Amino acid sequence: MEPMNPKTTLVLLHPDQRVGANMQRWRQLGGGKAIILAVRSPAAILEQVKQAELRGLGGSGFPAWKKWEAVAAETPKPDKYLVVNGNEDEPGTFKDRLLLEETPHQVIEGAVTTALAVGANRVVFYVNPDLSRSLAAMRIALEQWKSSDLVELASTALGRPLELLLAPGSGHYIGGEETAAMEWIEGRFPFPRGKPPYPAQSGIKGCPTLINNVETLAYVSHIAVHGAQWFRDLGKAPGLGTKLYSLSGDVLHPGVYELPKGTSLRELIFDHGGGLLSGKPLKAVFTGGPSSTLLTPADLDVALDFESLKARGSNLGTGAMIVVSEGTGIVKRVAEYERFFAHSSCGQCTSCKTGTATISRLLDRIDTGRGTMSDLNTLKNLCAMLPGSGRCHLVNGAAMLLDSAFGHFNDEFVQAVAKSGRS
Amino acid sequence: MNKGIPLQEALAAYRPDSDPGQVSPMTDADSLLSEFHPDHLRGSVVKLSVGVNSGDSCQRDLASLLQTEAFIDEADLAGVPVIDADVLVIGGGGAGCAAALMAAEQGAKVLLATKLRLGDSNTVMAEGGIQAAIEPDDSIQKHIQDTLRGGHHAGNPSLVASMAEDGPDVLRWLINLGMQFELTPSGDLQTRRAGGMSASRLVYCRDYTGLEMMRVLREAVFQHRSIEVWEQSPAVELLSNEFGLKCAGAVLMSLADGQKRIVRTRSVILATGGLGRLHLNGFPTSNHLGATGDGLVLAYRIGAKLTELDSFQYHPTGLVYPSHLSGKLVTEGVRAAGALLINGKGQRFVDELQPRDIVCASILRECQEGRGIRIDDERKGVWLDTPRLENSQPGLLERQFPNLMSRTRGSGLDPRTQPLLVHPTLHYQNGGVIINSKGATTVPGLFAIGEAAGGIHGRNRIMGNALLEIICFGRRAGIAAAAAAKRDRGPKKVTLEHINQLRRALTLAGMPLSRRAPEILPSYARGGLWSR
Repeated sequence: MEPMNPKTTLVLLHPDQRVGANMQRWRQLGGGKAIILAVRSPAAILEQVKQAELRGLGGSGFPAWKKWEAVAAETPKPDKYLVVNGNEDEPGTFKDRLLLEETPHQVIEGAVTTALAVGANRVVFYVNPDLSRSLAAMRIALEQWKSSDLVELASTALGRPLELLLAPGSGHYIGGEETAAMEWIEGRFPFPRGKPPYPAQSGIKGCPTLINNVETLAYVSHIAVHGAQWFRDLGKAPGLGTKLYSLSGDVLHPGVYELPKGTSLRELIFDHGGGLLSGKPLKAVFTGGPSSTLLTPADLDVALDFESLKARGSNLGTGAMIVVSEGTGIVKRVAEYERFFAHSSCGQCTSCKTGTATISRLLDRIDTGRGTMSDLNTLKNLCAMLPGSGRCHLVNGAAMLLDSAFGHFNDEFVQAVAKSGRS
Repeated sequence: MNKGIPLQEALAAYRPDSDPGQVSPMTDADSLLSEFHPDHLRGSVVKLSVGVNSGDSCQRDLASLLQTEAFIDEADLAGVPVIDADVLVIGGGGAGCAAALMAAEQGAKVLLATKLRLGDSNTVMAEGGIQAAIEPDDSIQKHIQDTLRGGHHAGNPSLVASMAEDGPDVLRWLINLGMQFELTPSGDLQTRRAGGMSASRLVYCRDYTGLEMMRVLREAVFQHRSIEVWEQSPAVELLSNEFGLKCAGAVLMSLADGQKRIVRTRSVILATGGLGRLHLNGFPTSNHLGATGDGLVLAYRIGAKLTELDSFQYHPTGLVYPSHLSGKLVTEGVRAAGALLINGKGQRFVDELQPRDIVCASILRECQEGRGIRIDDERKGVWLDTPRLENSQPGLLERQFPNLMSRTRGSGLDPRTQPLLVHPTLHYQNGGVIINSKGATTVPGLFAIGEAAGGIHGRNRIMGNALLEIICFGRRAGIAAAAAAKRDRGPKKVTLEHINQLRRALTLAGMPLSRRAPEILPSYARGGLWSR
C-alpha cells in the first residue's frame, strides 16, 4: 500500500516491527528491550523523552514530557492510569490504525515503558470500535503479553500488578478528546469535561491519568533504546524525529508515509505520493485532517513540522494531508467536513451544537445552489464568533476551517451563490 | 480495392425473372465468420487495461472510449441544484419507458431523463416484430434454444429463460396498453417465422412494430402522475456513495442550456441503448443519433462488469443508396417474406434466413471477392431482390411494408421494379453491462436494461428478441428498482469518488487523459455547448 523510499530511516514502520500480533517473532527481531531498560531506571526514560522533546502526535503537539512529569509527580489514588488513545476518527487520518494493526507489540511496549516511567499500574488501550482489524490484532497481542515475562517484570518493578486493558471506544469523533475518553472509560457518554482539574491530577475515577496518542507512545521504546539524540537527529531541523503522514485525496499513491519530521509538503506529495491524479495542478491541502487551516500551492515548500506550520497559521495536527487538485470544488469539500463536525458535536455546549449545525446547513444551501449573499455573511460572522466558545476544540476546528477556506477561496463561495441567482 | 461490378452495369444486367440458382448448404460457418465478419477484423480487438474488465477483449474504438477521463470534475458540481427521486431512469426508449411504468406502479417516484426526446430511440426503428412463443407448435423451450443457438451459446441461459418465459405475458401487457398487432382473419395474433427461429414466433405490426410499441409506451408514461420526464437531459456521469462502491444518482446536463443538475436517488436504471453512432470499424449504422454508448461508459466507470465487448451485430441489409438513407434498415421481414439476396452476377450466395452474422459475413465475402455491386471505393453492396418478391406475391410490399415503400418512394426508388442495393450496417451491441434476471448490475443501486445490458444474446441476436428483451427486463428492473428504493435509506453522501479511483487507475496504467467521455453526441453532430 505504501511504497517506501529506501533513503528514509524507518522507525515505527520498520519491517522488524511490522510482524502483526506475533510476539515470538517480534522478540526474535529485538522487541522488548525498552521494558528491561525502563525496569532498571524509570527516571532515565522520562529524562530521555524530555531530551528528545517528543510531542503529542494525536493533533495537539503538546510536549509529552510535561504531562508525564505532572503524572509522575502525583501519588496513586489508589491507581494511576495510562490511556493509549487510538480513537482515530478524523477524516483523512489513518496512521494509528496501521500501527495497531501491523505493529501491536511496538505500541504495547511503548505503553508499558511509559507506564513504568510515570508509575501507572493500569494501561487502557482505547481503540475506535470501527477499526475491527486493529482491535482484533490488539486483542491477540495483549493476550500474548499477559502470559509473558515482560509484564511480570514490569509488575515487580512497579511493586503491584500491571493491568493491561482493551477498551473499544464509543465510535464518536468527540470520544477522542482526552476527558471525553475518560468519561467513556468510566462508563458514561463521552462528553468532554471542563478543565481544570487536568487529567494528570484527576482523570479516570479521580486517579491521576496520563493520556497519549498511539503514535506518540510507539516512539517511546525507540527513544529508550537508542537515546534522545538519535531520535532528534532523525528529523530535518527544526523538526525532530520522524512522523507518520497520512496522505490522501487526489494523489497517485495515497497511504501512510514515515518521513523525517520537517520534510517539505512538495516532497511528500510529489516524491512520495507520486504527484497529483491526471497531472492536474495542486489547489489546496487540508492539513491535519479538516480541523485545521488550508495550505495552498504557495506553501508547497513549507516544512511539515509543528513550528513551521504554526508560522503559516496552520497546524500539523495528526499529520493527515488531504490533497485537493484543481477541478475539485472547495465549497463542496468544506461543506462535507462541516457536516462531519455538526454530526460529531456532542451537543453539550450550545454554541457548538447550534453553531456547527448552522454552518453545515448554510454551506449545504450554498453548495446545492440555494444560497444567498446573506448566508455567506452569516457564515463569516460565525467564524468570528464561535472560536473559544466550547469546552473542547471541536467548534474551534469547524470555525478555523471555514475561516481559512474563506481566506483562500472566497471567490468560489461567491460564485456558488451567484449561480443560484438569489443574491 | 476497385473490385466489383459497377452499379449501372449491374442494374442493366438485372432480370427479376432470371434463375438465381441454388445455394449450397452451409458447410463451415465458423471459418466464414472468422474470415469475413467485422468482429474478427485484424486489429479491431484490443485488451482492456483499466477497470473491472481488465484483460478482457474489447473492440478497439469502444476500448478507447471506456478508458477515458470523465466529462465533469467535482468543481463543476458547485452550486448545482439537487433533486431527489426514488428511481432514476436514464434513457427514453422502450426499455426505459417500461421500467419507469413498472417502478411507478410500485409506488416509486420516478424521474425519466432522456438525451433527446422521449421515444427518440432505436425502439422506434425496430421493424420486424417481437418474439413470443404463443403458437401451438411452439414452446418456451424452443424459444430458449433458438436464442442460445443464435448467440453461439455465449448467452446466459438463466437470462434467456427469463426472457422467453415472459414472452406471452409481455404481449398481454402491451396489448393492454393499447398496442396493435397484425391479426389472422379469425382474430388471433398473426405470427411469422424469421431468421434463426424453429417455429413461427414473430408477432408484428406491419413494418413499424417498434414505432407502434413506442406510441403506447410514450402515452402511458406521459399520463402517469408519478413519472416526471426530462427531455434533452443526458446523463454525463453517475454518482457514487463516499466509498465509490454504490450508485447514488447521476449528473444530468441539459442539451438546451448546459445547466447541470444532480439527481440523488436510490436506484438508477440505465436504459441508454447502443453505440452505433460510434461507427465501429468505419461502418455505417442503422442507429438513431443518440446511440453513442454512454451507458457502457458510465457503468464501467462506477465498476459494473461488462460482457462481450468485442461482439456487435451488423444488420445484413442496410441501404447503400441513396446516400442520405445510408445505413438505414430494410427490415429482415422482407427476407422473411421471401425476398432473396443476389450478387452482381445474378446468383444467390446464402440462405437468406440464416442468423444475421452469417448473412452479413456472406455479403461481405461477395463484396470482397469482387462479386458485389460497386458505386465507388466506399460504397458497395448486393441486391435485395424485391421485384422478384413483388412478382410472386403482387401487392405484398405495399401491404406489409408501408414504411419501406414510403421511405424509398421519397427518394425516387421503387422497390417493386428495382432491387435495393444493401450492405451490412452496424446495428446492435450484443454485449453490455452484466445483469441478473432482475436487471441488477454488479454495482448495488445500478440496474441496466435494453441494449445497454448484455449476456442475453450471446454473440449474435436473432430477430425479434430485442423488442422482447427491452420490455421483459424493463419491467423486471422497474419492479426490482422500486423495491430496492423502498428498502434503502438513501445515500449519506453523493460523490464522484469512483471517478477519482478511475483517474488513479488511468494514470497508473499510463493512459492518455486528453479524451473525455461520454460522447453524448456523435462528433459530426456537436456544436455550441457541446463542441469539444
